[in-house]
Amino acid sequence: MNRRKFLGLGLAAVALVPATALHATDYRKEKPDTWKAEGTADAIKGLYGDITPIEEGVKIKAPKLAENGGAIPVFIKSDKPAKSVALFQDANPRSAVAVWTVPEGGIVDYGIKIKMRKSGKITAIVEGTDGKFYSKVLPIEVSIGGCGG
Amino acid sequence: MKVKAKLKGDVVKVKVLAKHQNVGPEEAKKKNIEPNFITSVIAKVGDKVVFEVSGSGFISKNPLFKFQFKGANKGDELEVTWTDLKGNTKTKKAKIK
Repeated sequence: MNRRKFLGLGLAAVALVPATALHATDYRKEKPDTWKAEGTADAIKGLYGDITPIEEGVKIKAPKLAENGGAIPVFIKSDKPAKSVALFQDANPRSAVAVWTVPEGGIVDYGIKIKMRKSGKITAIVEGTDGKFYSKVLPIEVSIGGCGG
Repeated sequence: MKVKAKLKGDVVKVKVLAKHQNVGPEEAKKKNIEPNFITSVIAKVGDKVVFEVSGSGFISKNPLFKFQFKGANKGDELEVTWTDLKGNTKTKKAKIK
């Protein structure tokens, strides 16, 4: 392959990328470790590295006692300008539930329904644009487990 | 998939209800089906991404996503796309009311 052709191919590849890369960040591809981790601490490490989150600035709204572990409504709210938000729990075989990419100037106010097969703690981590991490931990009691449990 | 987007003040509030089994590996084994779940959901207004989430098998069956964003007007079209583990995608458009 001559140089000109090679460069042309490179350009074509670059031009193709924005069309196929719909995601700003695909956390499943970029951080595979976090989705395999069994514990919350390992999952957080897999996603953000060694961090010490500050326990403030994040609110979680969820039922204290969830009757149906197959669909527990969880709301995460924060006033901090954020880059990403991650949700973990320690009741299922693996910890990571979802990771949101916050668009520039986006509002951190997310609602989701999650599965938990037994009672446990959910942890929300907010990655601030200031480079700091904020967290909140909330225990949830589950009477009938979801996740096939 | 159902998408509802409503403008309140300068904030658009959105509810997305995807129709999906959403089963992780353990649950799939019990139910004797193949594991498959929504791995990502993206919402856009025009070219601007307003919402993005990477998911797992621990999101409920027929998952519900709620979010808010600023910077859109009434009548703008919100485009929501999900992708699952097997590579299936579904897109739905909804006008902001």
